[in-house]
Amino acid sequence: MSAVLTVARLDLAVWRRSPWAILAAVIPPIGMFVLVKVLTLSVTVQPVALVIQDPGPQAQVVSHFIENDTDSYQLFVTSMKRAQQLLDKQRVAAVIVIPKGFDAAVASGHAVLDYTLNNTDIDFADDIRRSIDRTVAEFDAPQLGSSVEGRAGARGLVVPNAYRLDIAEHDLRTTDVSFETYQTLPVLLLLVLSTGVLGGALLGSRDHERGTIVFLRQAPLARTAFVAGRLLGALLATAAITVPAVAYLTVKGVVHPPPGHWPAFLGVLGATAFFAAALGVLLGAALRRSTTVALAGVIVASYLFFLGGGFTTIAFLPRWLQHVSRLVPTRYGIDGMRQALFYTDLHGVQTDLLVLGGFALGTLAAGVAVLGRSVR
Amino acid sequence: VADGLRALRASARAELEQLRHSRVLVALVFVEAITFLVLVSLFGLTGSRAPTALIQLDHGPLARSFVEQLEQAHHSFSLRPMSAAQAKQQLAQGKLVASITIPRNFGSAISSGRTVLLPVTVDNVNADLDGDLREAVPSAITRFGEVNHFPGIRLRPVEHDLIDHDTGYIPYLIVSALALTAFVVAGILGAVAITREFERRTVTQLRLAPVHTGYLVAGKLLAATVVSVLAMAFAVGLVVFGYGVAPRHPAATLGAIALCVPMFTCLGACAGALLRHTLPVAGLFFGLALPLYIDSGALEPLRFDGDKIWAIGHSSPVYSAIAVIEWAFHGFVVTPESLGQNVLQLCAWSLACALVTAAVMQRRVVQR
Repeated sequence: MSAVLTVARLDLAVWRRSPWAILAAVIPPIGMFVLVKVLTLSVTVQPVALVIQDPGPQAQVVSHFIENDTDSYQLFVTSMKRAQQLLDKQRVAAVIVIPKGFDAAVASGHAVLDYTLNNTDIDFADDIRRSIDRTVAEFDAPQLGSSVEGRAGARGLVVPNAYRLDIAEHDLRTTDVSFETYQTLPVLLLLVLSTGVLGGALLGSRDHERGTIVFLRQAPLARTAFVAGRLLGALLATAAITVPAVAYLTVKGVVHPPPGHWPAFLGVLGATAFFAAALGVLLGAALRRSTTVALAGVIVASYLFFLGGGFTTIAFLPRWLQHVSRLVPTRYGIDGMRQALFYTDLHGVQTDLLVLGGFALGTLAAGVAVLGRSVR
Repeated sequence: VADGLRALRASARAELEQLRHSRVLVALVFVEAITFLVLVSLFGLTGSRAPTALIQLDHGPLARSFVEQLEQAHHSFSLRPMSAAQAKQQLAQGKLVASITIPRNFGSAISSGRTVLLPVTVDNVNADLDGDLREAVPSAITRFGEVNHFPGIRLRPVEHDLIDHDTGYIPYLIVSALALTAFVVAGILGAVAITREFERRTVTQLRLAPVHTGYLVAGKLLAATVVSVLAMAFAVGLVVFGYGVAPRHPAATLGAIALCVPMFTCLGACAGALLRHTLPVAGLFFGLALPLYIDSGALEPLRFDGDKIWAIGHSSPVYSAIAVIEWAFHGFVVTPESLGQNVLQLCAWSLACALVTAAVMQRRVVQR
C-alpha cells in the first residue's frame, strides 16, 4: 500500500510542477465554457424589424402581440425604408410588415402578415417562422392555450377558437433549466475527462521521454502497485482541479441537485474520473510521446464528450448513432449526471454507474497490460 | 539570397522528414481535421427535429392532415408514433422531448365545428428545446386551420425569402467548420515545428547557421503549410463527397484555403515561440477554436447577434475566413461587408500575421 501511495505522491508532485500539462488539460473545457456563454446570447432572440403601415386598431393588436413577444424578437419598430436598410446590413434577420388596409382586410377575413426573411440557414429562419406563426395564431385565437383538460373526475373547460384546436400542456417539471445551466454541467464533465485523460497520459509519456522509466523498472515495485499508484496520482490530479470547480458551481447555484441526489451526482463524477484516469494511463503507456499524447488526449476527450451527449442530446441523433453512443462510456456519465441534477428520481443512475465502472475497469485492465509491459 | 533560399528548401525538406518520422502525429492531425466536422454535425443534429411521441388515437383525414402539419412545422418535430404507455416511459427516460396526443374524437369534433383539446406533454428540462416546441405546436395549428379553410380565420402569414432555397443547418455549419479546421490543423503544425526546436534544444543550431535564421524558420513553416494543405484537402473532400456539399465557386474555395492555411501556420508558429512547449499547443488551439467558432458567424450571420458580439468577431481572421468560405460553397454573403472587403480583410490579416510572426521569431528564436 505504501508503494502505491509513494507512486501516487510522486506523480501528483510531478503534475503539480507541470503548469503546461495543467494548461493543456483545462484550456478545452474553458473554451467550451466560453462557447456556452456566447451561445446563450445568440440562441435566444432574433433581431426583427416591424413596419406598421396601418394605423387601425386591429393593426395595433397585432403589433402589440409582436412587441410583447420579447422571448422571440429583438424588435426594431421602424419605417419601410429603414427596415430595408437594416435587412441589407444584416442588422435584422427579417422584416415584418403590417400592410396598409390591414383592418379592412381583417374585416373581410383575408388579412396577411407579410414578412421578408433572410433564410441563410434554417436554424434561425425556422425560429422566426415559428414565432410569426404563433403571433398569427394569437390574433385569431387569443385564448389559445387557456383551455383546461378534465382530470381525475373533474370536468375540463374547452375555450372555442377559430382553429378548432387548443393545447393542453403538461410540464413534467415545475421549472425549466436554463440553456446555460443545462450546457454548463456537461462542460464540468469535460473538465473531469480532460484532466483525467491528459493527467494519466502525460505522466506516462514523461517517463518515456525523460528516461525515468528505467528507474521505475529497477525499483522494487510490483506491477499492480505501480499501475494503482499511477491511477491514484491521476485521480488526485483530476480531483485537485475538479473539486474547486464543483464547489464554485455549487456556490453559484449551477450545481443544485434535488434533495438526496448529491451522492449519485458525486458517484457519477467519481466514476467518470476513474474511467478518464484509466484511459489516460493507457494512452500514456501506448503513445509514449508528449506531442502525440497531448493531441490524442484532446481528440479522445472531444469524441467522448460529444458522442456521449455533452452539448448534444442523444435522442436527437440518428438511430445508428444512438446505437454507437451506447458504446461510449461518457454517455452513461452524462446521462447519470443529468438524471441526478435535473430529474426528481434517480431512474437509471445505478445502471449508469455500473456501466461506467465496467468501462473503467476494462480500460484499467488494458492499461495494466500495456503499462506493465513497458515497466518490465 | 541564393544561399538563403537553398537553406529554406533544405529546412523545409528536413521538417518534412521530421514529420515523416512522426507518423502518429501526422495521422492525429488528419483525424483532428475531420474531428471538428464531426463535432459540429453532432451539434447541428440537436438544432432541429425534436424527438416527439405521436399518440394517434384517430386516423381519419383531419387527423392525418394535422399530423402532416406537425411534420411540416419548420423542421420542429421528429414524430415517433407509439402508445401512451411507451411515450410515458420514454419521456421519463429522457428519450423524448414531448408527446402529442391526437384524441379519439378528433375528426368528428372538428368536422362538427367544436374545438378539440390536444394534450401535449413536455419534458421541460431545457428552456431552449421546449421554447422551440411551444412555438412549433401553434405553428402547426395555424397551418392546419389555413389548409382546411376554417371560417373565422382572418389572418395568415405570407413569407418572402431573400434566398430562393433553404439551406440545412449542417450544410451551413460544416462549411464554416472548414475555416476552424484550418485554424486548428495549421496552428498545431506551425506551433509544433517551433516548439520542437526549443524542446530538443536544436534552436541553438538554427541561430548558428551561416544564413539568416529567418530562412530556416520559413522553410519549416512552409513544410508545415504543405502538410496542413493536405489535411485540409482531406477535410474538404469529406465535405464534398461525404456530406454532399459541393462548392459553387471551387476557385474561391481553393483561394480561401490558400489564404487561411499559411496565415494560421504563422499564428501557430507565434504560439509555439511564445509557449516553447508542445504540451499545451493542441489544447490551446482546440480550446480557442470553440469560442472562435461561435463568435465568427459559424452558426448564423454574426451581425444578428448584436453590436458587441459582432465587434468581438472582428478580432480574429476567422470571421472573414468564414465569410469567404460560405460564399465559396453556398454563394451566401453572411456579413455586412462585401465579398471583396472580406477578401481584403483576409489579405490584411495574412500580412499582419506574417509581420507579427517575423517580429516574434526575431525576438524569441533569432536573438536569444
